[in-house]
Parts: sequence; C-alpha cells; structure tokens
Amino acid sequence: MNPRAPGKDTVLIYYTNQVKSLVCYSTSQVKLNCWNCKQPLLDKPPFFCMSCKVVQPPEEGTCYFKIMDCDYTFTLDTHKLQQRYLQLQRSLHPDNFSQKSVKEQEYSESQSALVNKAYNTLLKPLSRGLYMLRLEGMHIEEGTESGADSEFLFELLAINEALDEAWTPEEANKIGRDTKEKLAELTKHIDAALCKGELQAAKALLVQMKYYANIEEKVKEKLSRFM
Amino acid sequence: MAATVANKCLSPLAFLIRRLSAPEFITQCCYHEKVVDHYENPRNVGSLDKRSKNVGTGLVGAPACGDVMKLQIEVDDQGKIVDARFKTFGCGSAIASSSLATEWVKGKSVDEALMIKNTDIAKELSLPPVKLHCSMLAEDAIKAALADYRLKQQDDQQEAVRASK
Repeated sequence: MNPRAPGKDTVLIYYTNQVKSLVCYSTSQVKLNCWNCKQPLLDKPPFFCMSCKVVQPPEEGTCYFKIMDCDYTFTLDTHKLQQRYLQLQRSLHPDNFSQKSVKEQEYSESQSALVNKAYNTLLKPLSRGLYMLRLEGMHIEEGTESGADSEFLFELLAINEALDEAWTPEEANKIGRDTKEKLAELTKHIDAALCKGELQAAKALLVQMKYYANIEEKVKEKLSRFM
Repeated sequence: MAATVANKCLSPLAFLIRRLSAPEFITQCCYHEKVVDHYENPRNVGSLDKRSKNVGTGLVGAPACGDVMKLQIEVDDQGKIVDARFKTFGCGSAIASSSLATEWVKGKSVDEALMIKNTDIAKELSLPPVKLHCSMLAEDAIKAALADYRLKQQDDQQEAVRASK
C-alpha cells in the first residue's frame, strides 16, 4: 500500500489563526528537569528552578514571543515587551552571578544574550515581521527587484534624492514625517495580511517596509549632521 | 551626493577599524582598497535625461537589504555606449559595484555590455561572499538599462514605420 495515497487517514489541516499561533506554542512538549536538583521545571520557558532557585540553561529554539511572554501577533504591546525585558534582565543579568558557580555564570550569560536577541527582534515592526515570516518558513531572498515594481522603485529613488538634496533640517524632517506615516500605514497592512494568513502579501509589504526603514535611518543620520 | 553616500558607508567602517586589533576582522569584514577608492571617489555619479531616446535607464532594488540602484547609459548612432551614470543608495559595495559598472560599459557596444558578469565585478573589487549580491545588483542594473534602451529603439522604429505608411 502506498503510504502517500490519500485515504481515510488523511488529516485535514485548516489554516486559521488558531493553527498559525501554534507555530509559537507547540515546540516544547518535553518535560524538563532542573540540572541541579533534578526537580521538574514548571515554568515555560524555565529561567529558574522553582525548587532550588538556580538558573537554567536556555532551551534551544524557544520562540521569542514565548520568551518575552507576548501574544503571537504583529501588533504586540511594546510597552509590555519593555517591561518584561527589564524584569528578565534584572534577574538574569550576569552581574548577579559573579559569586555563583561557573556553570551558573555561563547559563546566565546565554540566557541574558537570548533575552537581548528576542527583545531586539520583537521591538521593531520590521524585524518582528521578518521573524514571524521565518517561523512560517519564509524569508526574503537576496535577489534583484526590477521591472514589475519600477513605479515603487522610482518613488523610492525620488525620496532618496530629495533627502540627499535637503539643505535644511526642516526639509529632512518633512521627509522623516512622510516616511513615518508610510511605515505606520505599512504596519497596518502587514498586520491585516498576517491575520488573514496571507504570507506572500505580508512578505511583499515587509520588503517595502525594509526600503522605507532604510530611508528613516538616513533621515536620522542627516538630522544628526545638522546638529 | 556621493560624499553623503560614502559617509554613510564609512561609518560602519570606522566602527570596524576600532575593532581591527582582532586579526580575523581584517579578512572577514574590511573593505578592499578598491571598494574604498570607488566610494571615496565614485566615478560617473549623476543622471542622464531619461526621456531621451538614446538613453537607457535601469532601476533595480535589493529586497533583502533595501538598496536602490539607478544606472543609465547613453548610446550613439553607431550603437556604442558613450556615457554612463549611476546613483546608488546603499552600502559601500553596492556603490563601488555600480561605479565600476559605469566605467566598464563606457566605450562598449550594447552587445558587449551585456557580457559583463557580476562575477567579474566581484573579482575586480575582491568582494567577500556576503557582498556578492551587490555585484549582482550592478549586473542587473546594466541589463535593465540596456533593455530599456532597446525598447525605446524598437518603439522608435515602429513609429518611423507607421509614419512612412
């Protein structure tokens, strides 16, 4: 019998928001135990053992949203993210472990680094969106874009040129404001696309966001030179 | 404009220089002197009249890094590329690649220019593997400019045929 042949056993998978969010929450089914006292670890993800209070090594591949205890959504609450970041670093920072064993120092270092990475990835909409795409198995290829998007590229060229030729902070500020507006608009569209599970559309919008984020950076740089 | 672009590109470089005490950074991160030369003194920066029928304009973007590159060529009646200009908003390697590309296409025929390969550009500039896509962007910009020029010439011929009828 051909095991690939569709039959009674075929499982239908419905791609809804519910299923999508499993990307982030289905990873750790294995029960972990504390490396020090061997008691089961109840927190998810476990930073410390509840029994002996000793720091734990980070779990490979833990979803950043889970680490930062945030909902798996593109429009996450950045205030909550920042709070959680400070809270985690207060307890995990290697400075707190200078009197502890080498192993604990090592674990706190890697936990703290992972928290930094998770925080920085989720903080900005662009890296957050790209990370969400990556969880869905998609990434933006290193190719060239032309032809089809020529109108968009001409628009970008015009903005870049205008910024280059801006002689006053006011001119640069105006471009900065327009770019911020554009980014806010893109954020809305990306959220809608991701909620509907339209990954290709979300990807195309994230590419646009990358170009505009570059312009935003250049505006900041230009403004700092006027100071 | 070149100066501002070059400035942007040199700032990460300045950061690297501070870290160059670790020898592995020299081979991994440092730009080759040819790249530095091209973005300190970029050749052929600017624009040609994109409405002119002798000018082909190529505009390309790199989705992964958000770079934008415009490359234009001017072709004479003998089909020889007599002028080329570029404007690139991106990293140092992208600027150097497009600057070199404008140097190389000048004096070539349209067919000869089509033969320029990104690997040649990457080799000339000693681009590291992570920057190879910058040379690809330059090759694609040349191709796009040549295609635009050819399209204009075709349209021109068709118009001439229509007019003579």
